[in-house]
Amino acid sequence: MTDKQEKKLHGTYAEFDAVDTLLAACRRVRDAGYTKTDAFTPFPVHGIDKALGIKPTALPWIALACGLTGTTIGLTMQVWMNTIDYPYIISGKPFFSMPAFIPVSFELTILLASFGAFFGMLALNGLPKFSNPMFTNPRFDRVTDDKFFLYIDAADSRYNHGGVTKLLGDLGGAHIHDVYDDDSSVAVPKPLFVIMASVIFLSLIPLLLVARMRVTTSDSPRFHIFFDMDFSPAKGAQSASSLFADARAMRVDVPGTVAVGQLDEELDFYTGIDMDALARQDKPRAARLVRALLYPDDPEAPAATDEPAVAEGPAKPADEPAKPADEPAKPEMKEEPAPVATADPIPAPATAAAVEDTTPWLKENPLALSLEVLQRGQTQFEIYCATCHGNDGRGNGLVNRRAQRILATAWVQPSSLHQDTLYSDAYPDGKLFSTISNGIRKMGGYSSQINVRDRWAIVAYVRALQASQNASLDDVPLDRRNELTKEKAAVDRKLAEQAEADRQRAEAKAKAEADAAATEAAVVEPAK
Amino acid sequence: MSEHTHKTKTADDPSFQLPASFGSLAVPLAVAGAALLIVGCLIGFFAGPGEGVQPARFTMSAYLVAFTYCFSISLGSLFFVLIQHLVRAGWSVVVRRVAEVMMIALPALAILFLPVIVIAWSPSGTLYQWGYEGYAASHGVPASMWAEKSRYLSADWFSVRSIFYLVTLSAISVFYFRLSRRQDETGEITLTEKMQALSGPSVMLFALVTTFAAFDWLMSLAPMWFSTMFGVYIFAGSVLAAHCAIVVVTYLLQKRGAIKDEVTIEHYHDLGKYLFGFVTFWTYISFSQFLLIWYANIPEETTWFYTRIQGDWEVMSYSIIFLHWLFPFLGLLSRHVRRRPTLVFAWAVYLLLIHFIDIYWIVMPEAGIKFGGATGLLTSLLITGGMVTLYVGGILWFVRCNQVKVLAVRDPRLPESLAFENI
Repeated sequence: MTDKQEKKLHGTYAEFDAVDTLLAACRRVRDAGYTKTDAFTPFPVHGIDKALGIKPTALPWIALACGLTGTTIGLTMQVWMNTIDYPYIISGKPFFSMPAFIPVSFELTILLASFGAFFGMLALNGLPKFSNPMFTNPRFDRVTDDKFFLYIDAADSRYNHGGVTKLLGDLGGAHIHDVYDDDSSVAVPKPLFVIMASVIFLSLIPLLLVARMRVTTSDSPRFHIFFDMDFSPAKGAQSASSLFADARAMRVDVPGTVAVGQLDEELDFYTGIDMDALARQDKPRAARLVRALLYPDDPEAPAATDEPAVAEGPAKPADEPAKPADEPAKPEMKEEPAPVATADPIPAPATAAAVEDTTPWLKENPLALSLEVLQRGQTQFEIYCATCHGNDGRGNGLVNRRAQRILATAWVQPSSLHQDTLYSDAYPDGKLFSTISNGIRKMGGYSSQINVRDRWAIVAYVRALQASQNASLDDVPLDRRNELTKEKAAVDRKLAEQAEADRQRAEAKAKAEADAAATEAAVVEPAK
Repeated sequence: MSEHTHKTKTADDPSFQLPASFGSLAVPLAVAGAALLIVGCLIGFFAGPGEGVQPARFTMSAYLVAFTYCFSISLGSLFFVLIQHLVRAGWSVVVRRVAEVMMIALPALAILFLPVIVIAWSPSGTLYQWGYEGYAASHGVPASMWAEKSRYLSADWFSVRSIFYLVTLSAISVFYFRLSRRQDETGEITLTEKMQALSGPSVMLFALVTTFAAFDWLMSLAPMWFSTMFGVYIFAGSVLAAHCAIVVVTYLLQKRGAIKDEVTIEHYHDLGKYLFGFVTFWTYISFSQFLLIWYANIPEETTWFYTRIQGDWEVMSYSIIFLHWLFPFLGLLSRHVRRRPTLVFAWAVYLLLIHFIDIYWIVMPEAGIKFGGATGLLTSLLITGGMVTLYVGGILWFVRCNQVKVLAVRDPRLPESLAFENI
């Protein structure tokens, strides 16, 4: 016992032969005021919790809290994803569809409640435990066989070695035993390292195989584990199908129907025209416009071009059914009846004045203007418009420069957006929208590529672009002027430096040439 | 173990007999119930539920609600008995006789179903609209489809099937009841073995019969609608109602001193778990049925739910979510509730009332009545109340006349059940 004295005493237990004596002992120990106690039995004994005075476990509350957390996570996640962050129409259901959210919330509730119950049980029991000093005594092994044990922890406030030993003895316990720290080696057994190393090595093999396959080639065809995931039976967008009479896999809209998200706004929003005013002024044209919007694919819908009475001016007829952008624009017919030379890209002011455009174009952008809208407009402008019109809108984009370099004869230079005829007083927002949507002269319509909202955003951005090219320092807010002035000075200085550098370089070059010429002359001279 | 020692009683102990006060109620209850039932039907037929509703159709629908209500309790009790034998359960022996006594009402209920079979022959489709020859034409159903449908939904074939269901269920319940009672006298273990051996095939037969009975008797009220989950849905409600009825009957018996020492908090705890479990199961099944139909959104399937969100039915449809799921779910969630017999009893009574609403909600919208119809709900309640009273009175009368004990006194697992304890 002497060397054991140095080790920590964990507690004391006694051995009992029958469940009834154990239960009686438990009750006595409980009544004596001990709280840190435990009983060990070969099988579950009803009522032992009560006999030991063990308080009801907190586990149900842990499980409930975890379950409710699961419900909350499930619901919030789906509401956030489906209704806020990434609204996406699924089966035509509303973005917020409670019935669709229930299965996931339910499963997550069950999952987290189970985790809570399982891991909570482990935590409350202090498991997993790699070693338990109870097992140092070989007699304790019989707890899985035919013996019952009652244990009193040394950490109990009433624990007193002599008293506990006496109490357990009085209660009929045999082989009263003190539990000390496990004195077996704490070193991890060597074979364990070997096993773990082997496991690590084996688990690396698949990774190595994958790595090898990444850097080598093979002649044998790919192995498809999930064939129908690699080759979806779903039809591609432009593929054929034997299911339908027209052999198209992609179905066209049913005539007269409006898809979700389409035609949400008023008609004005889609045409750029005050439709009420147009209906009063030119009813047939208004009717044609509406028809073209509702039945974009209807061959019966009269084409705008065979309507002789429309006096549209250079701005193309908005009533033309949306036309694929890749289809070459038919410039002349749009010009009609304006007598503008086809090659002249810039609508001459005289022409615009000559044919009065009576269309009640929208004067104002129907979008609520904000920095976001303008930035969206800029992005879209730089994707779709800037290739021809240039980022600055002066009509000298990359395509134009290339066309000039190869001296393309049929090329019509894109309009500069910075001219009086295109400012909002002469060219209303609605008309600009219509031009973007339906094209003009050689420019095709973009209604099929850019959505309505973005086209209006481009209109807003073009107005900003126009303003930017004709602005003075007075237009800049006071607090930004200083900054701008400084920036301008810096740019000017840099330009001046560059000009100076260029000049010097040119001078040096000229001088070098002159020297070379002189040398040459000098060389030539003696030869004579 | 000394805490749970049980005073040994002989099999003839008076506390295993039906309390005398219950026995004396049998005949008055049966008579009053029959009278109420007839009065209710007459009121339904002559006073009518309101404009635009055929009185006969309304009355028969209300009768079907009442029948389904009583039948579902007996059906669920039969399932309870079968499943206890199938899994060789020990805990439930002390309450199994209560279930057996409710189960043995099935042959009597078969007689109460005869009016429904008779009315199914009505050429005007009084209760089951498929009986009306012009149904397809008046509801825009293609003739070819109707030809296929009416091959199954015809009065003769319906009658044959119904009789088959009733005879099968009655036969199973009589078999189990007889054997269990014989064991009261002899205590033979072989009887238990025999009941266990036959419980597997019986449960399979039970499942098929319940499913098809639900299709024929309730789902075919809307002839063009179909849901393969409907049978399970009815089953879930029935088993829940049966567990509630077991709790209620056991509690009332104990109040009168019968099986007072035998059924303990532990048994109520287990029955409470089943109430909780079947509340959840019912919700799971009914929501699954709804979710699939809602998601697919195919008109021929949505029609049934569409009818039930029209007008005043909408309030009832949404109320059921709270009444049949949320309130009892939260109420029975805690172990402390389930370990208090009075609270378990109270929830069982509550759920039995809600079970009526569930069945009313399944049947009555198809009768073309508005939920708010002046006499609609009241007359249905009267008819159902009458039949339930008749049902209870009949069972009491049967138990009294045959001296049926309220406990399976010589079941070999009785000691296990008596000593049963939840950990």
